[in-house]
Amino acid sequence: MKGEILPPMTATVHVKPAGWRHGIRLWVPLFLFWLLLLPLAVLALPFLFVAAVIFGVRFWASIRAGLSLLAAFHGTKVEVENANTRIFVNLH
Amino acid sequence: MNDNRRQVLEMLANGKITAAEAERLIAALERSGNHGAGATAMSEADKVKYLRVLVDTKDPLDGPTKVNVRVPMQLLRAGVRLTGVIPASARDEVNNALRKEGIAFDINNITPQNLEELIEQLRELTVDVDNENTKVRVFCE
Repeated sequence: MKGEILPPMTATVHVKPAGWRHGIRLWVPLFLFWLLLLPLAVLALPFLFVAAVIFGVRFWASIRAGLSLLAAFHGTKVEVENANTRIFVNLH
Repeated sequence: MNDNRRQVLEMLANGKITAAEAERLIAALERSGNHGAGATAMSEADKVKYLRVLVDTKDPLDGPTKVNVRVPMQLLRAGVRLTGVIPASARDEVNNALRKEGIAFDINNITPQNLEELIEQLRELTVDVDNENTKVRVFCE
């Protein structure tokens, strides 16, 4: 985990709604979402830089900290299950 | 390479101990060495990796429900790292707000080393709540 700077690239989602015999198992390519977000993030960078200067926040340190926060979601797992419903999310 | 580590490797080479035993011994040596120097750096394998929350309830309407959440400790580390980029004026405001609430805590004192010590203490943490309908277990792994 040490040194990881990339956010979770895929997620596994398993949903079995009430009344369904079988659930839906999905592999979610999160990297597509990040790819879509990347141009927007690049466009927002100058504005974020100005805001950082105004508020006295260290810009690059903030970017690094934000990226490491996103990267830290690797391995997150949430599982909720009852008699009728099951939801399972795993971030890779 | 220090003498202790060399001894362990020699014992492994001579077949006196297994690879798993050698690994444990080296890890123990690293731990004791780090504590002796006052440092908190640990090998990745020894670090607490996840906070686990397990909830098992018996809801009269929905029936038995199980919740299993695994939160990476890295998230806590990254969150604390974020405090490093908070401007000094904002930190003072946070400290003042904490003092007003009766919490004598200075967020300037949070350092990566302190955090690792805190997380290491969490290794022993286990919270068990058990009543008629609900069981909650929180622990680190």
